Amino acid sequence: MKPPTTSGSSRAAVPLLLLCLAVLAAAGCGGGAAGSGGNGVTVWMYPVIMDPKANAAYWDGVEKGFERAHPGTDLRIEQQPWVNRDQKLATALGGGKGPDVVLLGPDQIPQYQANGVLRPVDRALGKARAAFRPTALAAMTQDGELYAAPIYHTVTSTLYNRRLLAKAGIKEPPATWAALKAAAPRLKRAGVATLDYSASGEASLNMSFYPLLWQAGGRVFDESGKKTAFGGPEGVEALTFLVRLYREGAVPRSALTNANLFTDQALGRQQVAMGYTNTPADAALAAQAWGKGNVIVGPALAGPRKRVGFGMPGGLGINAASRNTAGAEKFVAYMMAPAQIASLGRAGGFFSPRTDVTVPGTGAHAKEYEAALAYAFPGEPHRAARQVQALLAPEIQAALTGEKSPREALAAAAEAGDALLARQR
Amino acid sequence: MSRVESRETPPEEEPEARGPADHQGPGPGGADSPASPVAVAAPPGDRTIPPVTVPAPPVATTAPAPPPAGRSRWGRMSAARRREALAGLAFVAPMLVLFLVFRIGPTLGAVFLSLTDYRLNGDWTFIGAGNYARLLDDRLFWEAFGVTALYTVLYVPMTVVLALGTAVLLHRTLWLRGFFRGLFFLPYVTSIVLAAVIWKWIYEVEDGLLNSVLGGLGLGPVDFLGSESLVLPSIAAASAWKGFGYSMLILLAGLQSVPREVTEAAVIDGANGWQRFRWVTLPLLRPVLFFVLVIEAIGAFQVFDAMYVMTAGGPVRASYSLVYFLYDSGFKFFDFGYACAVGLVLFLVVLVFSLIQRRLVGREVD
Repeated sequence: MKPPTTSGSSRAAVPLLLLCLAVLAAAGCGGGAAGSGGNGVTVWMYPVIMDPKANAAYWDGVEKGFERAHPGTDLRIEQQPWVNRDQKLATALGGGKGPDVVLLGPDQIPQYQANGVLRPVDRALGKARAAFRPTALAAMTQDGELYAAPIYHTVTSTLYNRRLLAKAGIKEPPATWAALKAAAPRLKRAGVATLDYSASGEASLNMSFYPLLWQAGGRVFDESGKKTAFGGPEGVEALTFLVRLYREGAVPRSALTNANLFTDQALGRQQVAMGYTNTPADAALAAQAWGKGNVIVGPALAGPRKRVGFGMPGGLGINAASRNTAGAEKFVAYMMAPAQIASLGRAGGFFSPRTDVTVPGTGAHAKEYEAALAYAFPGEPHRAARQVQALLAPEIQAALTGEKSPREALAAAAEAGDALLARQR
Repeated sequence: MSRVESRETPPEEEPEARGPADHQGPGPGGADSPASPVAVAAPPGDRTIPPVTVPAPPVATTAPAPPPAGRSRWGRMSAARRREALAGLAFVAPMLVLFLVFRIGPTLGAVFLSLTDYRLNGDWTFIGAGNYARLLDDRLFWEAFGVTALYTVLYVPMTVVLALGTAVLLHRTLWLRGFFRGLFFLPYVTSIVLAAVIWKWIYEVEDGLLNSVLGGLGLGPVDFLGSESLVLPSIAAASAWKGFGYSMLILLAGLQSVPREVTEAAVIDGANGWQRFRWVTLPLLRPVLFFVLVIEAIGAFQVFDAMYVMTAGGPVRASYSLVYFLYDSGFKFFDFGYACAVGLVLFLVVLVFSLIQRRLVGREVD
């Protein structure tokens, strides 16, 4: 073949240039440290405000407001999706990278703290500590130090479909286990299930089994935190209650694959009369789908021992590898101020983690949710909380499908959980 | 793909026997290349179809001359050839660097991590084979391994039968062939998450499409994703729908490379359509078919997304695969050393499949 007009070396120039770029790009992947460095502060935020436009506008306003209040600091709030949240965060923090500040929930803190990738935020909280709800601070505290500063509080409660209750001739929404058991046969005769449930392995037990456990007077971990406690009589009582409802058809069979997504589940589709861990956002969606008049928000469900629901603070944590700790603390302190708590609460439909700030609820059921806040339990913070959930969830499925009795299922999960806790460093 | 391409070119001498790139071996039809017949299997006991004989492509019999001793290959090259070789290397280099940085590097990193107790903050302790020893005693690991193996056994035949069936139909159809080919390939380029969500709706026990159809027939409802015995076949069927397009294209290419004379000879010998397919086409398609089987098996062993979206590994871990176990170990338990050990075991399994494929398909083509 006749050689081309360009020489071999000139032909090689383009790929060599690409090679250089590739090497430079690869080099860019390594080294460095977390955050923006210098005067910059990077924040990872999630779509806490459901409307994407409102969410973007709100955090844009926060950026401008903070930079006005702290001239010379370059704040960058990066929006991250909820999907694969821990996967991305763990990868970033594990690589010594990630943002300076990140939004965290109480169930994330123990594990990240145990791995040494978070810095306490007590200094940023300062004198404002007394103004916060003690339960909100306790949920974010580990080994006596605060690892995320609460900036909002969520709450869940019971949600009923008035039309379906009326179809079964039920006038008083069932708010206790006993009332729920009594209503189940009547609702079944009317062709609907009673209670929605999420038993998927990806559904947080904080929104499914644990509230039933707490209502029965049980706990997930014992006082020492070195053993599980859900296998006790209270746990068996809670799981027996759930299994009985499932076997009778009062909990729909789709529960096995449900993952706490209101619109994707039988409750959202008006096939079930009630849920017991529904958020204000669920109530708003229900009003759109079912019609405003059909939505009832009740108090937290009461079990044989307690009336308790789930609700937790969301807070800002600081990356232990941050190169601008001072800037990060300034931002955390800025977001904890009453003005920011109130504006975020209004924009996202949240409640205030501060006792001296009341967010004026704008939703149709704000009063009911405000009342439910008194019963909102943020869960039991433990560094193995998520691992234990991963061990317990399949056993709950085994009880629902009849493969094991509630007692056997919980005993198997407790055995695996205790072995895991014994392995913990 | 290279194996498919090799079906379209006549077999030549052993690759190892080739000389440098500019070696000019005897080409097809060379004077010293006697054609030997290749017998295609006939159905046992069927006397109506004698074995079909196909003239084999010419086979080289002369080995290339050995290189002169004392000088390296580089030293024997002319300046122009050297420039050309350097240019070739430069063209390959960017991809090679990317491959080393993003494939080989992380793999070696995973080997190292699998020998450590690695913490999220970067602290690590060397524990030797500790993670591997733990794997052997981990009931969850073996459960996940069993689920993955069973899924592979279900998924691979489903996909290959579906792919072969559609490839044969497309091969025989001339009318709108391109349109149908695109249509059948469409699920393959669809997002697996999207496909899994749609299939979850189809399988739903309360008002899913399948149960609505079954209800119309007075059957069901069947809890496809809530039953421990049905969940794997259901996910395998959904994944087969999603994945058969790729194998279909490979098999179609294989079918199109079957020499027309062979099937014509079988027609002359009186073979009907099924006999031609079973005893002529299928044996000639065997290397391609085997390639597809191995590729699909490798893919099946890495299943994760469909299970994550459709069942989250349930019910009672009946759809909890090896990659799901790896994912949980890494991103739920933050046990990265252990997760890397799982990854390397998976790598070994896939490597075994690949070696089998290389050995058996290679032998078939040679």
